Amino acid sequence: MLRKLLARGRDLAWSESRDRETQDELARHLELVVAEKQRCGLDAAEARRQARLELGNPEVAREVLREGRTGSWLDLLMKDMGYALRLLRKRPAWSAACLLTVALGVGASTALFAVVDVVVLEPLPLPDPASLVRIYDSNLAKGVERTNVTSGNLQDWRRRTRSFRGLAGHYTMGRTLTLDGESEVVLSAQVTEDFFSVLGVRAALGRTPTPDETRIARFNSAAAPVSPDPVVALGHGLWTRRFGADPAVVGRTILVERRPMRVVGVMPEGFAMPAPDVQLFLPWGLPETPPRDQHYVSGLARLGPGATLAQAEAELVGVAGALAAEFPRTNAGWSVRLVPLQEDIVGAARPTLLVLLLSVALVLVVACANVALLSLARSLERLPEASLRQALGASRERLLRQFLMEPLLVSLVGGALGVLLAVLGLTLLKQTGAAVPRLHEVGLGPLALGFASVATLLAALLSGLPVALRLARAEPFCGLAAAPSRLAGGRRHALRDGLVVAEVAMAVVLLAGASLLVRSYQRLQAVDPGFDPRGVLVAPVFLDMEQYGGDGAKSRHYYATLVERLRGLPGVIATGAATALPASPLGPDFERPVWPEGAADDERPLRSAWVRMVTTDYFRTLGMRIVSGRAFDDRDSLKAPRSVMLSEGLARRLYPGSAAVGRRLVLDYSTAGTYPYDVIGVVGDVRFSGPRAAARHEIYLPHAQRPYLVMNVAVRSSGDPRLIAPAVRQVLHELDPAKPAHGLYDLSDLVGATYARDRYLTLVLSAFAAVAVVLALVGVHGVLSHRVRERTREIGIRIAVGASETHLLRWITGQGLRLVLLGLGLGAAIAAALARVVAGLLFGTSPLDPAALLAVAALPLVALLVSLHPAWRAARTSAAEVLRAG
Amino acid sequence: MAADKLELLILKTLALLPLHGYGVAKRIEQMSDGVFRVTLGSLYPALQRLERDGLVLAEWKASDNGRRARYYRLTPAGRRRLSVEQKDWERVSAAIARVLKAT
Repeated sequence: MLRKLLARGRDLAWSESRDRETQDELARHLELVVAEKQRCGLDAAEARRQARLELGNPEVAREVLREGRTGSWLDLLMKDMGYALRLLRKRPAWSAACLLTVALGVGASTALFAVVDVVVLEPLPLPDPASLVRIYDSNLAKGVERTNVTSGNLQDWRRRTRSFRGLAGHYTMGRTLTLDGESEVVLSAQVTEDFFSVLGVRAALGRTPTPDETRIARFNSAAAPVSPDPVVALGHGLWTRRFGADPAVVGRTILVERRPMRVVGVMPEGFAMPAPDVQLFLPWGLPETPPRDQHYVSGLARLGPGATLAQAEAELVGVAGALAAEFPRTNAGWSVRLVPLQEDIVGAARPTLLVLLLSVALVLVVACANVALLSLARSLERLPEASLRQALGASRERLLRQFLMEPLLVSLVGGALGVLLAVLGLTLLKQTGAAVPRLHEVGLGPLALGFASVATLLAALLSGLPVALRLARAEPFCGLAAAPSRLAGGRRHALRDGLVVAEVAMAVVLLAGASLLVRSYQRLQAVDPGFDPRGVLVAPVFLDMEQYGGDGAKSRHYYATLVERLRGLPGVIATGAATALPASPLGPDFERPVWPEGAADDERPLRSAWVRMVTTDYFRTLGMRIVSGRAFDDRDSLKAPRSVMLSEGLARRLYPGSAAVGRRLVLDYSTAGTYPYDVIGVVGDVRFSGPRAAARHEIYLPHAQRPYLVMNVAVRSSGDPRLIAPAVRQVLHELDPAKPAHGLYDLSDLVGATYARDRYLTLVLSAFAAVAVVLALVGVHGVLSHRVRERTREIGIRIAVGASETHLLRWITGQGLRLVLLGLGLGAAIAAALARVVAGLLFGTSPLDPAALLAVAALPLVALLVSLHPAWRAARTSAAEVLRAG
Repeated sequence: MAADKLELLILKTLALLPLHGYGVAKRIEQMSDGVFRVTLGSLYPALQRLERDGLVLAEWKASDNGRRARYYRLTPAGRRRLSVEQKDWERVSAAIARVLKAT
């Protein structure tokens, strides 16, 4: 064995000198023979001629020798490759089509795999990520499945539980950073003492805030920092962008919300908690008695050693129960839920990605089947050639290699192109900023490249195997004798028919998925959002406590002036502002208990509403419908009685069966006390978080009576809202250069973003389905054409014995239809089995939606049309011509 | 002629003395009274196989008339193989002869 290996190595290494040696040896042999012939009396020329005749061509001998050596497989490979390349070059369109098919298949599946790998498979880039959990409050009696926790309860959980190594809370909002006189809004997180230790992350430079610095760091009711010596840690991105990655930034003082803050450290690159774009970390010391009824804190914890999720949750539920008994007014009905952090971050994206990956795999299979079909058709065309060469002594192995080289080359080059496409696709995906969690971590790592290789090999195998199977059965002479016009059918077609049926089935599965999504998307779009986002520009403005704090007069004045000035801009129809605007991700959004005046004590905590402070023209600006009563106007001033407006749903909930306008209700708005309010109007429900979420119960307070620092300003103009953006920016700058808007958004875009996932998924899956359907139809057409060509003789005979054109048409299209119907049946069965996968992504659409599935049934019709072409060609066959040619 | 039989014959011719390729072909032709005519296309691949398997050794040497030629000689392993194969062949051919006579 070892000797053989050595010999092989020698063969390889010496093959060239060896070749020369052999040549010498053969030449010498010839010489000796010639010399002997001459001794027998022949002249030199005749001796040479006879010697050659006797010995055969020395070139052949050399060739045989070279082939006999093991090392020469490389030579052979190169030769086969050259042969395949020549063939590919001869049919550039065919080659390009195959190449592109494989490249697209491999590229798309690799890019998607890279995303899925990070999002679904890779653990979070944090120490021991499996023990990190999110804590949610839940109140099933109120229909709240999960919401943020309260800082008051968080304090008690920390004291009363043992299952956790640490519990932390954080709250994220935009804050104005002023540096060298230039202001910008940066996303910031205020984080409690345990935040960094729970995550197990240290600063890359300097340090994170100490417990002492954290304890004294307070925020007022408007989340403005009010500690005596505030400190801040910077995100790596902000540090490189605004400070040129200068290490001397530690110890420097920066202005956040106009307050000087000392930079103590910089977080490591790639740190993406609580979100990748959070770039300021402010310590947050909870007060002595933090509120238990304001659910705005994000809870985060790390399980202690040995503690399981179930144990920890059970313990925390117990504590929550005890707190509910101790503080029934705020805690009655409230319990907790734990969710693994990984699940929390990527859970929602998982079904989408799996559906995408599944569909891209189907496309890849269809693509491979098509390449296989095409290669198969070509190999059958070349069957006579193969038989001839086999008869002349070419080994079957060699032939097989040559025929396989073509699909193999196509797959390998296609795969390489696919990797390039994947890189390109990922770059594009990152640039569009698609709402994929952990997208910043995604790249083509070794695992994704491994996947690309496997996909490529699979493509090579899938596209080459049928050819190999077919040729392995070829007999050396039958190919010669049987020429392509043989009458036989039957088993010879089983392989190709199977491939076409499989192709059609995959296309059907994709088509079914895509039409369900299209249907669901149509229903999403048909949902009336309750407002008209077209033509509205949104500018979130965050005023600070330093300048605008106090009794609210300054904030009231600022927003009144702002709205007035914006209204004066050319093209502007209406302007208004609200603390929280539908579809806008920014701004304070909180829910408070509300009850009709005079309700019994035990009835009070049953109902709650989302509170919004709005300026007078807000409803008109957003195009919301006033259902009854009136909208806020100048009558609802500071001196007037407190007035509120209700959403339609809330009005029904509070006053079932009777009019709400004119009634009085109580809103428990703890920081300002509990007051009664006059209901002056009812406004239509809005889909606050997109069409999928049910309309919320909302209560509106006039900004004049309840001023607020953070507002989303909406400007409705007659044209494209982006056109007035520069003017709006200018107005904001004139009012206060230190208070730029936290971005300027087209409300239509914001609304679109709430169902962006549905749109992308529908679009991508429709594209996949279209590609698969086209490929499948090409497959059907190719197979039928080939069959017609193969059976020209039979067709000729049929015509000769009196078959009519219609008969032939029916015969051929019937064959095509049979394949398509088989594929349809198979595909429908697979689609039904996969219905569960897609069901969770659909909106108001059953996975067996008849109208959507009807689209699938259109496939046989199209296939019928496609099969008409080869059928028509068959029908036009001239019997005499065929029989003569045969 | 089957390749393994050719190899047996080559080993046999080399058992007496080292020969170059032409010599091997010539001797096989002589010994078989012209029944076996060995072509280049079968002789040299066989020699190469034997060389690869370590049964013969090849080296360039000056021939009788002073020209250089590649001489093949049997290695001990080649000699052992020859005796094994030869016995094998004798046994098989005798058996075949018996079977053929039996009819």
